[in-house]
Amino acid sequence: MIRLTGIARTFLVGGEEVHALRAVDLEIARGEYLSIMGPSGSGKSTLLNIIGLLDRPNAGTYELDARDVTALSDDELARVRREKIGFVFQFFHLVPRLTALQNIELPMVLAGIDPAERKRRLARLLAEYGLEGRAGHRPDQLSGGQCQRVAIARAMSMGPTVILADEPTGNLDRHTGQEVLNVLEQVHHNGGTVVIVTHDPEIGARSHRRLRVLDGAVVSDERD
Amino acid sequence: MRLSDLLEFAWRVVRGAPGRALLTLLAMGIGVAAVVLVTSLGEGARLYVASQFGSLGTNLIIVLPGRSETAGAMPGVLVGKTSRDLTLEDALALKSSHAVRRLAPLIVGAGDIRVGARNREVPVLGSTAELMDIRSMEMARGHFLPAGDPRNSQPVCVLGAKVASEMFGSNAALGEWVRVGDRRFRVIGIMARQGESLGTNTDEIVIVPLAAAQALFNTEALFRVLVEAKSREQIADAKADAEEIIRLRHEGERDVTVITQDAVLATFDRILRALTLAVGSLAAISLAVAGILIMNVMLIAVTQRRREIGLLKALGATGQQIRLAFFTEAVLLALGGAIVGLIAGELGRSIVVQMYPAIPFQAPWWALLAAPATAVVTAVLFTVAPARRAAMLDPVQALSRR
Repeated sequence: MIRLTGIARTFLVGGEEVHALRAVDLEIARGEYLSIMGPSGSGKSTLLNIIGLLDRPNAGTYELDARDVTALSDDELARVRREKIGFVFQFFHLVPRLTALQNIELPMVLAGIDPAERKRRLARLLAEYGLEGRAGHRPDQLSGGQCQRVAIARAMSMGPTVILADEPTGNLDRHTGQEVLNVLEQVHHNGGTVVIVTHDPEIGARSHRRLRVLDGAVVSDERD
Repeated sequence: MRLSDLLEFAWRVVRGAPGRALLTLLAMGIGVAAVVLVTSLGEGARLYVASQFGSLGTNLIIVLPGRSETAGAMPGVLVGKTSRDLTLEDALALKSSHAVRRLAPLIVGAGDIRVGARNREVPVLGSTAELMDIRSMEMARGHFLPAGDPRNSQPVCVLGAKVASEMFGSNAALGEWVRVGDRRFRVIGIMARQGESLGTNTDEIVIVPLAAAQALFNTEALFRVLVEAKSREQIADAKADAEEIIRLRHEGERDVTVITQDAVLATFDRILRALTLAVGSLAAISLAVAGILIMNVMLIAVTQRRREIGLLKALGATGQQIRLAFFTEAVLLALGGAIVGLIAGELGRSIVVQMYPAIPFQAPWWALLAAPATAVVTAVLFTVAPARRAAMLDPVQALSRR
């Protein structure tokens, strides 16, 4: 479903080339629960950004659902992201002036989905992520765990191919972090593909496939 | 993205930052109000002049002695040669034109009017009975000059309202004798108050029969002849006839100038319209300033909302959608400002109308359309750069900054 071949990404930092990724090959199948671990600056976030089509590789090819997406234009990439990728961020990235419901609705609004259909999906998402009582609250009226649940519901609203979570518990206390992980695992149990980037070995241990990234290269790839 | 969603999204952004919205609304509002107010002043002046010309009488043609070779020059003054006098016989000959309804020859001079010990200098107008209808004059008491052969001089006169009250006070003036210059006239009528009309105040004049004025000022030459055409359509015919008749009587020489009220009015109209447009455009500069303010506000918004823009891109917003969101926001602000400005301009106009009720201040329709349109267009133009910047934000960088 996701196939990266020889993906490389270099940045120019102060006139010097920094190799964030060097020739990464990676295949992710539908329904996998995968964690990407590694120290800061190892290139794990760059890898996630490339999988999420937020960043473009300097070399290599990326096939998503059997389609080469390496050479798409910015607007085509945006459309592919909208349909196939769901992001969950460390700092939630909810729009502060919008209610929980409106935040979840955002991807569907951008996709121009019919309001009646949106309403139907919203009701289902609110129920699924235990947010029924919180629909009209704004992010500053929600707890961290609730914010992240809203973000996950938003990521799921378009029925994406893959959920990409960048340190999803990094900004939460241990208990709430567990709760959010449970929600992500629930997505996985329902057949979704989940990719988590994390520092935390404990979270890595819960996933079914663990990738270690060091200096822009995948150094180990363990499966249960 | 649906239009209704786009509007709702932009509306929430505007509502989310009320201080910012208020500021832009104010700037746009002042610009629009200035355009509306300034153009109403100009348009009011134009309508005022038009109505003043209307009060001179309708379908009026004025025949002046002397020929102006250059359009707009003062006839008879700048020509530099002595022209043939315009005489009463010339004026009466104009009646042979089928396009002429009536005419009134005029002689104007200054004379002393005396009643008993009271004495003052007044403008004296010599004319015929038809002047009253041509100039739409109204009598307060008595009659206007009697109809009849204008060559006959009768010792009667008509007084302006102010002259009558100054000379006679509260006493009845009708039927009394007054002395103008070295001749005596009996007062047969007093005109109603009309006030000023393009510089001539009919309240302060004395009107005597033409022949009497000729004798009084010892001249045959007419100051001018007022001619009324039978209809608006026949003004041009009457003008051509008048020129031809006088030319034939003056041995083929074109030594009179015929001006139509229309031509004079049209000139004033053009001047005042151009003036209104020019001053209105000056006011529109304030709209450009407001546009620059909108650009600044938007640039700040792009910086403040980096993370949100990055998020929107991550969620699948295209560059086009981001740009549209910013343009919609700018248009909403501009429209809001335009409405505020139209209301403020209207309020200002009604205040000015209270102060000067005689002048019909009224914003012209094109200004009411152009001011909001300019507001919206400048807002959109000045949002191009910020919207472009937002659309080109790199989502990875925008999201990574805290």
